[in-house]
Amino acid sequence: MKSFATMACLLTASVMGAEDIFVSKVEPLLKQRCFECHSHERKIKGGLALDSKSGWEKGGESGPAIVPGKPEASLLMQALSHAEKDVKMPPKKMLPASEIVVFAEWIRAGAPDPRVSEVKNSQDLAAGDTWDVEFHKRLDWWSLKPMRKVEPPKVDDVAWSKEPVDRFVRAALAAAKLQPAASAEPGVLRRRLAFVLTGLPPSSASASLSDEAYVDMLLQSPRFGEHFARHWMDVVRYTDTYGYEWDNPAKGAYEYRDYLIRAFNDDISFAQFLREQIAGDLLPRPRINTDSQTNESLIGPMFYHLGEHRHGSSLMFNGIHQEMVNNKIDAFSKAFLATTVACARCHDHKLEAVSQHDYYALAAVFTTPRWTSRVIDAPNKNDVAIAKLKDLRAAIRAEMAVAWKKPFEAAFLKQWAETHSVALKGVGAPLATPDQFTQKAAEWRKARVDAQNANAIFKPLADAAKAQLPHGWVMEGDGMKHGFAEAGTPLIALEGDGVIARLLPRGWHTHALSSKLPGALRMPSEHLIPGRFVSLDLAGGEFGGQLVVDDHAFQNETITFYTNTPSEWKTFADAELKNGVQQVTVEFATSSLNPNFPPRTGLAKGLKNDDFGYDKRSWLSVCGIVSHDKAGTPQDEQDAFAGLYDAAGSPDFWQRIAAWFNSAVARWCDGKTQPGDQPVLDWLLTSGLLPNKAEPGSRLATLVAEYRSVEAGIEFPRTVNSMDQRETAQASYPLNVRGNVDVIGTLVQPGFLKMLDPRARVTDRLALAESLLDPEHPLTARVYVNRVWQWLFGTGLVATPDDFGRLGDKPSHPELLDWLAREFIHEGWSTKKLVRRLVLSQTFRQSGLVTDAARERDPENRLLHHYATRRLEAEAIRDSLLAISGRLDSQLYGRPVLPFRSVEDGAKRLFSGPLDGHGRRSIYLQMSIMDPPKFLVGFNLPDLKLPAGRRDVTNVPSQALIMLNDPFVNEMAKCWAAGLLKDKDVNREDRVRQMFGQALARAPDAAELKRWIDALQDFGGDTPDAWERLAHALFNTKEFLYYR
Amino acid sequence: MQPHDHHLCTRRQILAGAAAGFGMLALRAMAGVPLHRRARAKNIIFCFMDGGPSHVDTFDPKPMLKKFEGKAIGSGAVSKRSQSNAGRVWFGSPWEFKQRGQSGLWVSELFPHIAQVADKLCVVRSMVGELPLHGQQNLLLHTGRILGQAPSIGSWVSYGLGTENHNLPGYVVLNNDWVPNGGLENFGSSFLPASHQATMVRAKGVPVDNIAPHDEAVIQRRKLALLAQQDVEFAAGASDAQIIEGAIANYETAFRMQSAVPGIADIADEPEHIRRLYGVDSTDEHQRFYATQALRARRLVEAGVRFVEITCPSFDGNNSPWDQHGQIRQNHAKNARITDQSVAALISDLDQRGLLDETILLWAGEMGRTPHTPKISESCGRDHHVNGYSIFMAGGGFKGGMAFGETDDFGNSVASDPVDIHDIHATLLHQMGVDHEKLVFRHGGRDQRLTDVHGRVLRELTA
Repeated sequence: MKSFATMACLLTASVMGAEDIFVSKVEPLLKQRCFECHSHERKIKGGLALDSKSGWEKGGESGPAIVPGKPEASLLMQALSHAEKDVKMPPKKMLPASEIVVFAEWIRAGAPDPRVSEVKNSQDLAAGDTWDVEFHKRLDWWSLKPMRKVEPPKVDDVAWSKEPVDRFVRAALAAAKLQPAASAEPGVLRRRLAFVLTGLPPSSASASLSDEAYVDMLLQSPRFGEHFARHWMDVVRYTDTYGYEWDNPAKGAYEYRDYLIRAFNDDISFAQFLREQIAGDLLPRPRINTDSQTNESLIGPMFYHLGEHRHGSSLMFNGIHQEMVNNKIDAFSKAFLATTVACARCHDHKLEAVSQHDYYALAAVFTTPRWTSRVIDAPNKNDVAIAKLKDLRAAIRAEMAVAWKKPFEAAFLKQWAETHSVALKGVGAPLATPDQFTQKAAEWRKARVDAQNANAIFKPLADAAKAQLPHGWVMEGDGMKHGFAEAGTPLIALEGDGVIARLLPRGWHTHALSSKLPGALRMPSEHLIPGRFVSLDLAGGEFGGQLVVDDHAFQNETITFYTNTPSEWKTFADAELKNGVQQVTVEFATSSLNPNFPPRTGLAKGLKNDDFGYDKRSWLSVCGIVSHDKAGTPQDEQDAFAGLYDAAGSPDFWQRIAAWFNSAVARWCDGKTQPGDQPVLDWLLTSGLLPNKAEPGSRLATLVAEYRSVEAGIEFPRTVNSMDQRETAQASYPLNVRGNVDVIGTLVQPGFLKMLDPRARVTDRLALAESLLDPEHPLTARVYVNRVWQWLFGTGLVATPDDFGRLGDKPSHPELLDWLAREFIHEGWSTKKLVRRLVLSQTFRQSGLVTDAARERDPENRLLHHYATRRLEAEAIRDSLLAISGRLDSQLYGRPVLPFRSVEDGAKRLFSGPLDGHGRRSIYLQMSIMDPPKFLVGFNLPDLKLPAGRRDVTNVPSQALIMLNDPFVNEMAKCWAAGLLKDKDVNREDRVRQMFGQALARAPDAAELKRWIDALQDFGGDTPDAWERLAHALFNTKEFLYYR
Repeated sequence: MQPHDHHLCTRRQILAGAAAGFGMLALRAMAGVPLHRRARAKNIIFCFMDGGPSHVDTFDPKPMLKKFEGKAIGSGAVSKRSQSNAGRVWFGSPWEFKQRGQSGLWVSELFPHIAQVADKLCVVRSMVGELPLHGQQNLLLHTGRILGQAPSIGSWVSYGLGTENHNLPGYVVLNNDWVPNGGLENFGSSFLPASHQATMVRAKGVPVDNIAPHDEAVIQRRKLALLAQQDVEFAAGASDAQIIEGAIANYETAFRMQSAVPGIADIADEPEHIRRLYGVDSTDEHQRFYATQALRARRLVEAGVRFVEITCPSFDGNNSPWDQHGQIRQNHAKNARITDQSVAALISDLDQRGLLDETILLWAGEMGRTPHTPKISESCGRDHHVNGYSIFMAGGGFKGGMAFGETDDFGNSVASDPVDIHDIHATLLHQMGVDHEKLVFRHGGRDQRLTDVHGRVLRELTA
């Protein structure tokens, strides 16, 4: 039932089937064949308009055109059939029979016509009396009512009276005249606890612990967090890639996975957990993890990015954006509210109190922020290193200032110019042209005046004096934050003999201190920036570049990577807003902060297919921002030559040149660099005219070495696709009439579901999160508590964890659900406390034995009269094989491990990993939407595109084929046997006992022992091969694959 | 050997005892799926031309394109259903069309072999899709919905008609190391029982994952005997014995599949003239793969598999095999070379065996290609187009040598008898004896259909 609730949307389709036929078949024909003469836009011949229902109801001069249900009595059909000489429509050529049939069938079906008249159409579809009435009726539903305050019932059964949960369950059983099952045997219970809490088989070491101590041990184990994180990953449709045609990496998804593991292991309150996933970027006090130096809160919103992202944008293909927004709304509303809001995309919900307006209000909330990469390193992580680098840079500069103090001699320059042909770039480049000085000076003056005049149309947006960004522009990352450089700031060379790589122009340079530092500049929507155009003076390399994003979202492929070191002006014109797109923004980013890096293979020139974009140096420079109304870009005003041509000076050409250089160098040494000095100085440096080497053993050499060593110690940034709502304008989202992306309705302001937010207090994600955390919220705690129940028992108190609505299941124990939800909130939203309570309950301890009466009266076990036998989840099967064979690597966290693939596809980055995935737990395998790990898929890993609160458990022959023949399973059997045989002093019987203990957590009885020893004999006796076969057979027992 | 057989025997007896449980389940599953009318066809072979072969270069001749080649198409020819803008120019077909066979059906020289069986083809020239995008159109073609999240047509056929061979799956995809856009969802069973999802059979290497027994037969049988005893005891202590028994039964089926599947996949015993007919020994690697899969398709149909799909191999960095935005001359020709002979061979081979009557061969891409291009050049191509394109059916009661529907003079939009995928689905099911409105599965509170709320049986196409 993986897409149970999604399908609920389609229910409406059956209700509206005939209407849909109208939309898909009849309406196009009307438009194509009839509108030319019978519509308000064209003509209304004979008084007949066919562009609205009322049009044909009223009819033309001959009366109503259609009699619903009766094609034979309808004038329209008569006209179409060309039977009467006077009314043949269309007049020139009869329609093909196939089209006439469409009209006939539609009329026979009652001629449903959902079109509303033009006047009505302009109004909001959600408004209107009937919806209001319906809406209030629908509020009368169990999951929308307040949680009851109930006392656990009294029960006589002593064993069942201690834990309140048990009292609810026992009372309900008593009411149905059913008995609970007895407690499971200790071994069975231990195995159950181990799988339920950690997804791994029990280890024998814990046999002496009490149940409480055993449970506490499991809860303390890091394996608990891994196992529960995986549960949550189903709920939020976790993926490492974006699927669709190219399966691009979902940047930083694994950081979110690791965040989940930490959150469950640290028992972060569910309130905080929810807050972070919905609005982690907006929290006034983000949660900083001092161990991992991570801003945990900022990782949360990766939740939104999961799922499939089709590339392209709605500006290119209308509908792409809307489809993805639908997936986000679906995931959010199912995960936290168990409500199928996505059904209201096309119309007011057919069953729930959710209007179409609600849907688009939520869309506006979700498209207000930028969906982009954030740095999740703790804010001050690099502060010490950065301060050191700044100091060292200053010290190096001071040393260089000494070295550069010696002035150039005119004679030397003359001689140098004779042997070097490189000239400083620009108008009137003068070196080696003394005889043309006057002419060059004139050229320069003219160029300068021309440029100054031309530049009058450009209005600087960034205040160059204050290093300030224009209003509404935001920066991200230490590279930008610490990247502003005054003209002439030295870029320290990170390798080689040279001290300074180049002297930077004034502006932001993400690599000014280190090209490891990330940086991004994000501008407001183009249409909010004054002027028709905005131009930026940009440089960049190593996949630093720009991307254009419409409506702040998703995988637009309009990415450009810069490959220019001297900066160049680039212009961005206001884009045409069409297809409902409300804003178009541009982001300038190093590769780590580009949310779509790496892009599809082939789009980033020079990037290998197997390069997932981790740990890359990258840089970006922004040296100017101007706005303008006329096309064009600012021209170079040739400041560099002012010191040559403008200044009074010696009549001797080379003297003049020397003075020009010397004064620029002197100013640099004194820290008084002027506009125009930087190009001159940088040219002198790169031409080898300024000394740029550190004598071995000198103070300068020490400083450079130290700079390089500090720089080397900086870690590459950790970035995650998250949200950035700083300075963004509140979005409004156009309602799509009947869900049709081509029919734009009113613009809907941000808001939440009226049924949960009647006073319309929610306007952004932070308010949304806080509203859900109201202790009286009817859904938040119920939905989560129910999920936890299902993770522990296999089925929730509500069997449909993602749908608490009318198509969902009703709670089997409504009062227990409410009591548990309230208790959960009371205990600080602690998952571990909830889990502990439940697994230590008598309800959980029951055996799997079912009485005939129970089977008869409650075959689904909704009353919980036993603990149902469960198959291991896909991950638990694989992880158990690793654990038992001794191959499990217990390392926590990390980048996704490529699963084993028999076929690779480099263009999609579908490469194969080792057969055993390096022994890592299945949670760490790469979850590619396009090609998820096959072994896991075989055992019902859910569809990665959609939220799946509950997994299917199928039972098909391919699973038997996997367990029998998959090389991984056989490899694990081999490893296990080899490990067992290392201990040579064990007799065969004891070895079988040991195997039973490891795989099944119990000892074999006498008959079993004989059975397996007999089999060993038939497999070849006491040989490694035979033991491997025996191990493999044990992996294939149903007892291994299931737990009771 | 004795004891092993004895163990197996015991196990079978146990299973027979438990069989009532499965039998009842199976019956219940089948109960909602009666045959609705006398079936004309029993099987479908779907030759999926992934990426979108150009209709105006294959089955829909448009001399006007040559006449107006290089002329701007103008804003009147722009459509949301194709990658188009007013400045693009018409582009005549590089291939010559001829009338073929008795019927005079037009087939271009791109398909010399298919041309020879023209009298068997029922071409539809007026297909209309929803969005000119691969992923969406692939899912529409396979599941009837551009978003997918519904069973593939192969799963529906398998579910609706059941299997005639319990050692083989009901839906097999013969793939060629390439997953079409839209992903494996194209072949998934979605909310239908998982047993109806496609089993993938590869061209290269081991045909089916895990089908080759890891153990020699005697060892594997001994393991199964051991498991039989062990598992029955576990089943007795489980809360629902049926589930465990189901898992046990799967080992029986899996055991038989190990020999049945490779048996079908192994074409070594096919006579020389058949191998030559399909092109199994071609020097071109891709054609060899395709031919092998085509021949396997026939063998699977003979063995009773309901729905067999063959995908195209992807031979260069293209997004999908037939997706020639550029280099259409070179690469459409290459795609044709890979598939043409084998598709024609399938039709004539099935015909000679008397199987064509009961087997529908469906040849379809998810889209056609624009009759225009940004700029005429030697390396130019055609882009996405779902506003009138061609597919064909052969056999299974479809009329041969006919073309249905028309596009306009430029092949740019449908001029008469628009047909959508739902209509094709409805007609295919109709020929299989199934009413598309009655083949339903209750899911999400609603009776779900392959054709959703659409579909018209195209009686004009069938004999």
